[in-house]
Amino acid sequence: MLYGLILNILLWFGMYLIVSLSLNIEYGYGGIPNFGKALSVLVGSVVAGGLMTRILMAVYGTKMGIGGLSTATSVVSNEMTSSIQHNPMLGLVLLVATLMLAIAIGAVVGAVFILPSARLREDYLAITLLAIAETVTMICYYDPAIIGSYYGVSVPDFLAFLQGNVKKLAFVGIVLLIALLTYLFFERLMNTPYGRILRAMKENEDVVRVYGRDIMKVRIMTMAVGSAVAAITGVLLSFYTLRVQANSFMITGRTLWTFYPFLIILLGGAGNNKGVTLGTFIFVTVMEIIDFYKTNIVSILHLPVEAVWLEYILFGVMMLLILYYRPEGLIPEKPILTKPIKKAYETRKPEIARIKE
Amino acid sequence: MPGMEVLTGALIYSNLLALLAVGLTLAYITTAVPNFAQGSFAVVGSYTALTVYRLFRIHPYVSLPLAFLMGGIVGLLSYLLVLKPLVRRGATVVTLMIATLALDLILLGLRGIYAGYLGKLTGSPCEMYMFTYLDFQIFGLPAILVVSTLVIVVTFAVLFTLLYKTKFGIALRASMENPALAEIMGVNVEYTRMFAWFLSGALAAMAGCLLPFKQEIVPATAEIIIVSIFAASIVGGLNNIYGALVGGYIVGMSESLVTYWLSTVFGAGMLVYGKVVALAIIIVTLLVAPQGIAGVEWRLIAKKLQKRGAKEV
Repeated sequence: MLYGLILNILLWFGMYLIVSLSLNIEYGYGGIPNFGKALSVLVGSVVAGGLMTRILMAVYGTKMGIGGLSTATSVVSNEMTSSIQHNPMLGLVLLVATLMLAIAIGAVVGAVFILPSARLREDYLAITLLAIAETVTMICYYDPAIIGSYYGVSVPDFLAFLQGNVKKLAFVGIVLLIALLTYLFFERLMNTPYGRILRAMKENEDVVRVYGRDIMKVRIMTMAVGSAVAAITGVLLSFYTLRVQANSFMITGRTLWTFYPFLIILLGGAGNNKGVTLGTFIFVTVMEIIDFYKTNIVSILHLPVEAVWLEYILFGVMMLLILYYRPEGLIPEKPILTKPIKKAYETRKPEIARIKE
Repeated sequence: MPGMEVLTGALIYSNLLALLAVGLTLAYITTAVPNFAQGSFAVVGSYTALTVYRLFRIHPYVSLPLAFLMGGIVGLLSYLLVLKPLVRRGATVVTLMIATLALDLILLGLRGIYAGYLGKLTGSPCEMYMFTYLDFQIFGLPAILVVSTLVIVVTFAVLFTLLYKTKFGIALRASMENPALAEIMGVNVEYTRMFAWFLSGALAAMAGCLLPFKQEIVPATAEIIIVSIFAASIVGGLNNIYGALVGGYIVGMSESLVTYWLSTVFGAGMLVYGKVVALAIIIVTLLVAPQGIAGVEWRLIAKKLQKRGAKEV
């Protein structure tokens, strides 16, 4: 029982860390209020469920029958899954290929996503990003040609050669590995000239412009990178559930993949990858514990309701409390200590201390 | 040519959208925050009407005043409990917007619990419902068309009188134009904000009370409608109440009629793309006239056109 809980915490820690880190470079470092974060996760799921399955259907020569996309994908997924059972390499190729495809398409979508909001103030920017994400989600929900709408589509099991506990363990391991790579990638990226321009942009756009940098280019690049990375989680989600269903994004998409990542980075500390990692861990642990004791909670409180509503209220209130009492998060953002700044800090320590007083 | 049914449907939708957009704009003018929970305010009205109907068999049209009151209370509480403490701390716009997202999530959770509770109480599920079967005809027109038009006319008549014919209205407009200056002149800006949020929630809830006559209420209703509300407010200009009225009709009409037209040309599959029209309107407005229709200096444009005309002659 407890083993399962720990495994679940690790799984969702990895999933959420990838998305939260990507939102952190957009919002925490760059100051872009991406209220449409859920879109890039959806893109990953659409690539896995709508695009990769179609490619496989072409490879296996599966015809779209009377059951439509839903049936056809389950036929091709079953076929692929049984091939993977004998050939683990095929599973690996499937995972890597899908991830590459999702990263590429995620980057393009992210770059296009920000284009209409060129030169907008942050409130209008946030509204536009949210509106685009909601509209795309709605289209995926209502149009069965994309990912089968309500009926959903099936995705092959790339770990079909493993069974039971080992399989889940391997899956969690892969998710954590990807999350680690993401962390290292972003830490590296924020230590490049681009990373420093990004932080400067958040503080003062005019200064960045004075130094001859194009704000729009920085924004596009940031959204491309952020969306590409978040699309990875979309792919992993599909491979975890082996199904992609648009209705799971319809009501909960914005909550799970826009609101919760914001909650995480505000909890941990925006503009600080270590803080975000800590925030992710705390958030996921709370969420999984609630999930674990769901039935107990509901029966103790004698409520005729599903625990998910309580969870929404709890996390909504938690967000407000963070905004009131600790808007800088658990680990606040630190200044970039390049060598000259470090030197200046050390030589002028008494002065700084005096100013602070 | 679209039939009568399509036109009345579009008009009803536009009426409701205008009500919702005016509420959003009121809150934006006074508090400078785009309220992402506006759709949830509407759902408060829908559930008020449903509760009264299921428990007492009172027609939803009769419960409009109650919906107004309930929505107002929710709007006021939202301001006092969620936004006011943050505004006091000098929170940024983004922080305030995140707070309204949190508010929306809390309201979604409360709605879910309430729907479950009401369902148990009345013995029939309350997650999805419509009121269309309760509607009747007035002089050959669907009652919802008449009622929603009446609501919008009365709302604007009262709002106009209040804003332009009373002392409170002058204070209200002053504190919208320049809060600091209004405060110096002895206006309590806090009251105007509280009033705006009360009205914002109340108008949204009235729209929500009538919405089930037009479309089904589902758990995602608030999410579905929010894009259209923002489109209406933005196209009219987020800073102008009358802009919201105009925007409501532009977005409501084009969302209904453009998709209808597209569906006659390309087939019924196009009907699901209604929201794309609203989104396109947002994007085009922001690119061409970010201040919305009310922000465009029409006189200047007219002058320019005249000059050009004169030159050509």
